[in-house]
Amino acid sequence: MKDKILNTVGKNLIPFIQIFGLYVIFHGHLSPGGGFAGGTIIGVSFILYRIIFGKEFVQNKLRFSLLIRFLTIGVFIYGVMKGYIFISGGSDLHWATPPLGIPGSIISGGFLLPLNIIVGTVVSVTMYFFYCLFEEGEI
Amino acid sequence: MTIIKSFPLIGVLILFLIAFIMPLIKKNSVVKFLSIASFSTCLVLFVVSLNYVIHNGSYFYKIGHFVAPYGIEFSIGIIECIMAVLFAFISLIISWYSCYSIEHDVNESKVPLYYLLINILVGSLLGIIFSNDMFNVYVFIEISNLASCGIVVVKDKKENIRAGIKYLILSCLGSGLVLMGIAFLYSMTGHLNMTFIHENLINSYMNYPQAIIITLGLFTVGIGVKSALFPLHTWLPDAHSNAPTSSSAMLSSLVLKAYIIFLIKVLYRVMGNEIISETPILFVLLALGSLGMIMGSVLAIFQKNLKRIIAYSSVAQIGYIYFAIGLGTELGFVIAIYHIIGHAITKSALFLCSGSIIEKTGIKEIANLKGVGKEMPYTLSLFLISSLSLVGIPLLPGFVSKWYLAIESIGVNKLYLIVIILVSSLLNAVYYLPISIHGFFNEEQSSSKLYKSKEKSVKELMPITILVIAMLYVGVNSEGIINLIKTTFV
Amino acid sequence: MERLLTNYYETSSIILFGIGFATLLLHSNLIKKIIGMNIMDTSVILFLIAKGYIHGKASPIVVGEFKGVSEYVNPIPTSLMLTGIVVAVSTTAFALALTIKMYEKYGTIELDEILEKGDE
Repeated sequence: MKDKILNTVGKNLIPFIQIFGLYVIFHGHLSPGGGFAGGTIIGVSFILYRIIFGKEFVQNKLRFSLLIRFLTIGVFIYGVMKGYIFISGGSDLHWATPPLGIPGSIISGGFLLPLNIIVGTVVSVTMYFFYCLFEEGEI
Repeated sequence: MTIIKSFPLIGVLILFLIAFIMPLIKKNSVVKFLSIASFSTCLVLFVVSLNYVIHNGSYFYKIGHFVAPYGIEFSIGIIECIMAVLFAFISLIISWYSCYSIEHDVNESKVPLYYLLINILVGSLLGIIFSNDMFNVYVFIEISNLASCGIVVVKDKKENIRAGIKYLILSCLGSGLVLMGIAFLYSMTGHLNMTFIHENLINSYMNYPQAIIITLGLFTVGIGVKSALFPLHTWLPDAHSNAPTSSSAMLSSLVLKAYIIFLIKVLYRVMGNEIISETPILFVLLALGSLGMIMGSVLAIFQKNLKRIIAYSSVAQIGYIYFAIGLGTELGFVIAIYHIIGHAITKSALFLCSGSIIEKTGIKEIANLKGVGKEMPYTLSLFLISSLSLVGIPLLPGFVSKWYLAIESIGVNKLYLIVIILVSSLLNAVYYLPISIHGFFNEEQSSSKLYKSKEKSVKELMPITILVIAMLYVGVNSEGIINLIKTTFV
Repeated sequence: MERLLTNYYETSSIILFGIGFATLLLHSNLIKKIIGMNIMDTSVILFLIAKGYIHGKASPIVVGEFKGVSEYVNPIPTSLMLTGIVVAVSTTAFALALTIKMYEKYGTIELDEILEKGDE
C-alpha cells in the first residue's frame, strides 16, 4: 500500500506487538497469559502486516508452505511431548523429565515453557490462516 | 507389564500424531500407506488390550500424573475395548478400500487432507469411547464434529457444501445442548469425572428432581441430533448420500455409534439405574426408537437414489439400537451393543458395495440399475448378503439381534413391540430385495450387457469380502460375543 | 420469581441460551445462524463461570504469598471455558468458511432459497 502514515506506523508498531507477544508466551508459566494469549497477539501482528503491506508482498515473506510446516511440526512435537508425559505418568514409569528449576525464573517448570512456545507458534499461524481463509475463501 | 495398560492411550496418540505428519508428505501413496499403518497398529494394540481386560478385569487409567478427581481418566472395560477393536478394524478396511477409489471422489491435492481428517475423526471417536471425563468427551465430540463435516465437504461439489453446512449447524446445536447438560451436572455435583458424578448424584438426586430430568432431556436431544434419532435425523440422508463413498461408510458405521455409546455412558455410568428408573427417559427412547424403525424404512421405500436408500435405512437401524436401550433390561443393553457391532460391519459393507457400483456404472438411480448383476456379479452378491442381514435372515447378525429383541419384548410383557419388529423387518425386505432381484434377474436389460464387463479387480474387492466374512463371523459366533458383553454385568 | 432474581446469572444465561437456540433454529440466514450458535456457547460460558465465582474472593493467581485455598475463586470452570472458547472459535471459523463457499456456489446465504435451488 502506498499510504505513508500507515507504512511508518506499521513498521514501528509491529515489532513491539511481536515483542509483547513473545513476552506473554515466555512468561506463561509465571503469570497470566501463556501460549494461547501470546500466540493470538503474534497472529494479530501478522494480520496487521498483511493488511498494511498488501497481499502479494506478504505472501512472499510468509509463504503458506513454510507456515504449514511450522504448524504441523509444532503440533507433532506437542503431541510427542504430551504423550511422553501421559504415558510416563499414567503407567507410573517415572521416566526422566526436565528439571523443575527455581520457581519464578524463566527456565523452570519442566515441560511448560517448551509447550507454551509450541502453542504460541501454532496459534499465531492459525490466526493468520483464519484471516487468509476469510479474505480469499481458500488457503 | 504395566505398559499394556497404556495401549488404548497409545493408540489414540498414534492416530493423532500420524495425522499431523500427513500434510508434509508430497506423495499420496505414502500418505495412504501411513494411514493404513496407523490403523493396523491401533488394531493390534486394541486386540492386545481387549485380551488383557478379559483376563485381568477392567481398570481406570489416569492421564498424566494426577489421580482421578483432579486429572482426566480413561476407563477401560470390555465394552470399550470391543468398540475400539471394531472401530479400528472398520476404519482399517475403509481406508484400504479408499486407497483404490479416493481419487475418483476427491481432488488429487486434497488427498492428504482427507486422510488427516479420517485419522483425526477415528482418534476422537476412540477418545469419546474411552474417556471417563465429561468435559474431555465434549472436546472430543467437537473435534469429531468438525472432522466429520470436513470429510463431507472435501468433495467440493454444490450438494456437498449444502449437506455439510446443514450437518454442521445441526450438530453444533447438539453439542451446545450437550455442553449445557455438562454444565448442569457440574453445578449439581461439582465434578466432571463420571464416577464421582455418579457417587455424588446417588446421595443427592432427591434434591434436584427437575434438574435431573432437564439434564437427561438435554443429553438425549443433543446426542439424538448427532446420532440421528428419528425426528431429528433430517441432516443424515443429505450428508451420507452426498459424501464420498468411504466417508459415508465411516459416518454411518462409526460416527453415529460413538455418540450412542456416550449416551449409554450418561445413562448407566453417570446416572445409574436407580435414577433413570424414576424418569420417563427410557420410555421416550423406546417410543422414538420404534417410530424410527418404522418411519425410517417407510421413508426409504420412496427414495430413488441408491445411497439415499441406505442412508434412510441407517435411521431405521439406529431406531433398533435405541429400541434396545429403551427396553431397559440387561439383555436389551447387551443387544444394543451387539447391534452396534453388527450394524457397523453390515452398513459399511453396503455403502462400499453401492459406492463401487456407482463408481463403475456412473448411475445413481435404482431404476436404471436393473441388470447390473450381470456386469458386476461379485459386487452385487456381496451387496445381497449384507442386505439379507438387515432384512433378518438366520445366521446373520441382523437376525440375531431381532430374535433377542423379540424375546426380550416378551420378557418385559410388551407383546405389541414384536409387531413393530416384524413390520420393520418386512419393510426392510421391501426396499432392499428389489435392488438385488432386479439386478440379477432382469432379462431385457441384462441381455444387452456383457458379463463381468464392469467388475472391479479382485484386490479392490478384497476389503468388502473381508467385511462380509467378518459379518458372517459376528452372526455365527453371536453366542460368544453376547456372552462376552454379558460378563460386564458380573 | 424471587429465586430467579437472586440467581440472576443463571437466569440470564438460560435466557441467552434460549435466544441463541431460537436464532439457530428459526432464522434462515446463515450468518444469523452462526451468531445464534455463538450466543448459545457464550451463555454456557457465563453459566459455568458464574458457578465458579465466589463473591469477595481473589482471582486464583498467587502474587506474593499464598493465602490459603478458601481465599480464591474456583479456577476449574474458568480453565474449562478457555477450552470452550477455543472450540467455539474453531467451529465458528469453519462455519464461516463454509458460508463463503456456499455464497460462491449458490450466490445467496439464505438457507431456504438454497434448499429450494438444490432440487433442480
